[in-house]
Amino acid sequence: MHGDRMSAFRDGAASAVSLLFGMVPWGLVAGLAMVSAGLTPAQAVVMGLLVYAGSAQLAVLPLLIAKAPLWVMYATALAVNLRYVIYSAVLAPYFERLSRPWRVLLSYVMVDAMFALFVGRFRPEDRAPHRHWFFLGGSVVLWIGWQAASWLGIFGGALIPRAWSLEFAATLSLIALLMPLLYDRAVVLGALAAGGVALAGAGLPFNLGLICAIAAGIAAGLAASRVQRARARGA
Amino acid sequence: MADSWLGWTLIAGTAALVYLTRAVFVLPGSRLRLPPLAERVLRYAPAAALAAIIAPDLALVHGALAVSPDNPRLVGGIVAFAVAAATRSVTLTIIVGMLAMTAVRLIAA
Repeated sequence: MHGDRMSAFRDGAASAVSLLFGMVPWGLVAGLAMVSAGLTPAQAVVMGLLVYAGSAQLAVLPLLIAKAPLWVMYATALAVNLRYVIYSAVLAPYFERLSRPWRVLLSYVMVDAMFALFVGRFRPEDRAPHRHWFFLGGSVVLWIGWQAASWLGIFGGALIPRAWSLEFAATLSLIALLMPLLYDRAVVLGALAAGGVALAGAGLPFNLGLICAIAAGIAAGLAASRVQRARARGA
Repeated sequence: MADSWLGWTLIAGTAALVYLTRAVFVLPGSRLRLPPLAERVLRYAPAAALAAIIAPDLALVHGALAVSPDNPRLVGGIVAFAVAAATRSVTLTIIVGMLAMTAVRLIAA
């Protein structure tokens, strides 16, 4: 029994090692971006530990630099991280029999890469009683790798000259994250609408342009998918 | 900004919101189902939010639209999109995008 748990944990950890190639640069950029945006090293370390979501952290930092109001930053973090709501819904049947402390812990360590690895490996109805140990093993590897990389960015980032504009790496990493999300035409149209409205509304006070842009993007995506489905039905 | 309440409030609020998105279905431990409309809104929100953050950072210089080949960030961003589409690699996207941005910065200067 105990051996099965350990081997599931080790299996998960070993499977997650290759995912570190994606996680480590991401953590490095997040660490660097936090201090570039004006957070103290202590704040940056705490943010990495508590939030542990590179995309949400990177998304709010340009807004912090632009002195956007708090609620705009919160709304942005929430919008960027809504994909986790989908992961949460998908993972719920896998974890529904676990104790509350397990569910609290596994919610905290949930990240894109581990979600993809786990769902690719197991089905909810599988009889794999130790799969949560697999999830934990992989998550521990990713968590340690990401936190270590983030600290390297936080404490080593100051050695890098400002003129190199390394904070631009944060925007580039968002581009890398956006690309796999663009899986159908409706999503692409939504993203284009959001980008266009963000440019047009950049001068609006309180960064309202960003909120309008996200709303416009969702509306455009919904409208496009409706047209697509109507066309599919008509065909 | 140093140690200001704003930084800590941002961190605490973001942490709470992000945790909420992760725990919302796992923590109740039951088979809650999303209504279909919510599912569709959730599908478009992340890409819209990311695009809305990326576009101004690439195309605006001091608040004005700067669509020209000597805007380092715009060129770096377009190159990064191409690399991301071709390789799906975060590492390569960052490295090549930074190199392209730096090349234009040095040439334009």
